[in-house]
Amino acid sequence: MGNPTPPANRRSQARLGIKFLTILGVATLALSACGSGAHAPGNAAAAGSESSGPVQGGTFVYAEVTPINNWQTQAARFYEKSNVLNSVLDRLTYFDAKSGKIVGWIASDFKANEKQTEFTFTIRDGVTFSDGTPLDAAAVKENFDALGLGIKNAQVAPNVDFSAYKSSEVLGKNQVKVTLKTPDANFLRATSSVTSGLVSPATLKLDNAGQSAIANIVGSGPFVFESEKTDEEVTFAKRAEYKWAPQTAANQGAAYLDKLVVKYLPEVAHRAGAVQTGQVDLVRGLQPIDEQAVAAGGGQVLPAQGVDLTTNMAAVRIASGKLADAKVRQALQVGIDRQSIKDTVLSDSYVIADSVLNHAAPGFIDLSADLAYNPEKAKALLDEAGWKVGADGIREKDGQKLELTITSSNNSVVIKPAFELIEQQWREIGVKLINRAADNTFLTTAMIDPNIEFFGTRQFAYGGLGPVFGPENNTQTLNADPELNALFAKERAATTDAAHKELVAEEQRQLVTEKALSLVLWDEVQVYGGSSAAHVEFTSGTAPIFQGAWKSGK
Amino acid sequence: MAAYIARRIGQALLVIWLAYTLVFLAVQLLPNDPVTIFLSADAAASPETIAAMKAQYGYDQPLLVQYFSQLTGLFRGDFGYSLASGQPVADRIGAVVGSTLILASSAFVTAVVFALIVVASATLIRITWLKRLIINLPPLFAAVPVFWLGLVLLQVLSIQLGVMSLFPDGSFASVAVPVFVLAIHVSAPIAQVLLKSTETVYAQPFIDVLRAKGASPSWIFFRHGLKNAAAPAMTISGITVGTLLAGSVITETVFARAGLGQVVLQSVTAQDVALVQGLVLLTATAFVVVNLVVDLIYPLLDPRILKSGTHGAPRALAA
Repeated sequence: MGNPTPPANRRSQARLGIKFLTILGVATLALSACGSGAHAPGNAAAAGSESSGPVQGGTFVYAEVTPINNWQTQAARFYEKSNVLNSVLDRLTYFDAKSGKIVGWIASDFKANEKQTEFTFTIRDGVTFSDGTPLDAAAVKENFDALGLGIKNAQVAPNVDFSAYKSSEVLGKNQVKVTLKTPDANFLRATSSVTSGLVSPATLKLDNAGQSAIANIVGSGPFVFESEKTDEEVTFAKRAEYKWAPQTAANQGAAYLDKLVVKYLPEVAHRAGAVQTGQVDLVRGLQPIDEQAVAAGGGQVLPAQGVDLTTNMAAVRIASGKLADAKVRQALQVGIDRQSIKDTVLSDSYVIADSVLNHAAPGFIDLSADLAYNPEKAKALLDEAGWKVGADGIREKDGQKLELTITSSNNSVVIKPAFELIEQQWREIGVKLINRAADNTFLTTAMIDPNIEFFGTRQFAYGGLGPVFGPENNTQTLNADPELNALFAKERAATTDAAHKELVAEEQRQLVTEKALSLVLWDEVQVYGGSSAAHVEFTSGTAPIFQGAWKSGK
Repeated sequence: MAAYIARRIGQALLVIWLAYTLVFLAVQLLPNDPVTIFLSADAAASPETIAAMKAQYGYDQPLLVQYFSQLTGLFRGDFGYSLASGQPVADRIGAVVGSTLILASSAFVTAVVFALIVVASATLIRITWLKRLIINLPPLFAAVPVFWLGLVLLQVLSIQLGVMSLFPDGSFASVAVPVFVLAIHVSAPIAQVLLKSTETVYAQPFIDVLRAKGASPSWIFFRHGLKNAAAPAMTISGITVGTLLAGSVITETVFARAGLGQVVLQSVTAQDVALVQGLVLLTATAFVVVNLVVDLIYPLLDPRILKSGTHGAPRALAA
């Protein structure tokens, strides 16, 4: 930890001493510029006790990106929510990313009929919600009804991953049988999602406002709500009697930590500094340029692979007509130089996408050969499609210019610069990209406007690719493609693992290569910054596992 | 006097009603309705769900019905339901309004003190280079962006020196620094206008008369100059309510503070219409009330306003 801070400080302090008020602005700028790689001392003691086991106790401070108020659990498709609710709610099953298998959690056992239309779950004995209510078969049935049918009185929409749900019945004290309208080979996986977290029947009876308040969300998870300061922090305390972790979890008992405090750092520039100074133990949303600073300052750069999601992509909408021809979309797919995106705006924490599924996702196939950068092929495809280069270098057809617009949220710290680079790459093949990435106000309407050609995104895919690309109003393509939907239905109805795998492979080929409705970019990853004392792992949905987390030298 | 007050209050109510109506109409021009926008933020919701939810919150009613039911709701204290935050608008705003009030009012008082110090020292100090330096401070304050100053101060104080937290932890620094950042920005226009009007007052013959009678410079400034120069600065102070709110959006984001600023940001990005309407109503009310108070103070500073009948005169001067 030989660091450049003291001389820089001394220098500017000396300057401050002699110069006058007007200089202040310049001096502070210089100071902050010098200091971007610097860090406060302290926290150095932790590194020594590395090899010893987990330390009991302590308060863990976790900084999320933005505060949220609507905690309704079925709509937990945002990281801000799912990252926290992951430690409050248990699920029936758990996806073990290491083995790629679904293992038991609250369901000690589960089986499906051959047609994948009936699923029977055996509920573990002795599990209770934090309000004391038993988490038994009856409670599970109530949760299934809420997930599959929605909650009318509370205006809670059904969970999209449970669209095949018909009904469930309680068999004896600890068994629940779910019946589906249509076969769904992804149903089990959907029960592992944070959005299908089990809540106390009392929570399900509340109105919309009631279910949105974190104080009212009663789960069976390792942490329990304790207090809240609106928009500033939420504090959770560990549940001492917790002993029903996922079957493969290293820690089968209560959390090591006493408390978990969730804070918010909307300002991206402060995230690296927050962990370097030890003000937080873990922060989400580290920028690639801050990764080196964090590592050099003794902190940890922790990339969490988002196996449960699609890869990052520009999802294609064809309504404007410019991208109606698959050749044009294929041209854009090979007109992206992914290696240069990684080299320029990403970091070592990021992996270039080779499909619409992440490398570690079940059923992933490697389409890298079809995704190789080939501007000549792109130009030829565009020529074939009848788009000729105009006087200004932009292609045109029937008096229309090949000008395309992208929208995305600002939640991803790298999405805007990535599309700036793609804008340059596509310019070479005669395509103009209007980059509205990271403009959240534009996004609100653009997300549901089929004339906006691209939506830069990644989505949880617990129910497979069907719910992501299938429905008429899916926010990716805003279009129901009958061929794709036939394929999705066939995949859901697959009765053997091998057949399912082959159909998932075909879906990827269709989405990426044949129809090119998903211009894939990089595997989903959330880069966290951790203090030197933090020990934490992540779920396949990138959520920190606070139940197994601990702090050395607390 | 009573007629003057009644007229001012009547105008204030009219402005609030117009602002509310304008926002209601503007919202209708948006390409989508609040329910569709809310549900699209999640994965694809079915059309039936969207329809059911619209009916639940009354967004399926004809425009006029929506307008009048929302308007009458206001009188019952019902400001609507914020879908994105899952709570009534009044609760959402009520939970954080105190934090912004503390920030904004402290920043305003600090800004006025800054402005007074700047103007007093610029007027009373005799050393030419120092005087010139002070006169140039307000333009500098106006030029420094709020977010930049906040970022730099946090970088230095919290990350480099470790003397304050990046989060609002209730310590003195975690309140004082954001107040300072916001105050710097707000003080600039007040100081600039006060400086200018002080110059104008000092050019008038009665100042020469006071000097000739042997009054000290500080006596002239505090007893005569400031009082005569205050009216335009007060008008500007009333208008800074807008600057304060805009500034608190940024300050609250940079300092991770709860407050109206954060709520404005969230409600606009989520197009949470009911919440936006509630915020506009609140802002318009704050703006109007502050300006009403300013208008009511004018006659105390300058009794001619009540006699002349041209109530707008001092404001026109300031503009």
